[in-house]
Amino acid sequence: MSVMLYGLSTCPYCRLTRTYLEENDVEFDSLEVDLLEGSERTDAIATVKEISGGTSFPVVVIDDEVIVGFNKKRIKELLSL
Amino acid sequence: MTPFVDRLGYKFNTDDGFVEEVLVSEIELLDTTGDVYCPCRMRTGDPKEDAKIVCPCIPFYRDQFAGLKKCWCGLFILKEIEDGTDLLGVIEEPQGEIDVPVFRVDDLPDGQIRHVKVGRHDMAVARVGDEFFALSNVCRHAFAPLAEGFMDGYFVMCPWHGWRYDVRDGSTDHPGADVKTFAVSVVDREVRVRVLLK
Repeated sequence: MSVMLYGLSTCPYCRLTRTYLEENDVEFDSLEVDLLEGSERTDAIATVKEISGGTSFPVVVIDDEVIVGFNKKRIKELLSL
Repeated sequence: MTPFVDRLGYKFNTDDGFVEEVLVSEIELLDTTGDVYCPCRMRTGDPKEDAKIVCPCIPFYRDQFAGLKKCWCGLFILKEIEDGTDLLGVIEEPQGEIDVPVFRVDDLPDGQIRHVKVGRHDMAVARVGDEFFALSNVCRHAFAPLAEGFMDGYFVMCPWHGWRYDVRDGSTDHPGADVKTFAVSVVDREVRVRVLLK
């Protein structure tokens, strides 16, 4: 199961999401989109727009499922926590 | 910000620690970008689009936030919420009918009408005595903004060609040209319009 967290360094919910995943020993990759530069940043924004339909964070991708916002209940369900 | 968000039906989150965390992030963004952008949304570089994520961004997401009972980052919560801490970990996209606060009773004098945008809906909200009515803002004749029209009892006359609509049910004398109406309620002297979130 792959877990990816797209976040912003300024965003409290992104921090809460990260903490939640860490506390539950979930292995995940993450990107803080606002800290990227150049084409990496442009590409990450384009990806987030494509998968979530907007630029609101956090965006958590669990396999093919996309969760916008810190939706603990949905993360819990998908990861069977 | 307090007097402004109060008019929109919101107050600061009751969790002081969380409020401080968000405000610190906003002040950092002010220093680096020149404005108090929402710390949970990304700027696009398009000034017109980015104006919609300057805090408080409530007017641009009224329907979604009324469903969430808070703004996206949780800095502001609906005034009726006693403990904002309960909402901090909760972001479930609202669905169904949502009553969205738009302004206070005293913000619209009797016999007046004003424009309100709620999500994708452009509405004209009218006051007749102590009753409030909401209908589509767009006249079916030539697409004029009805909120710029003239009130006459329960009727609004379109500002461009005088078509009359009954604000109670959106009906007009012109066949097939009735406009959509929205249910309105008044709670704690706040006017709320009901929209359907899909």
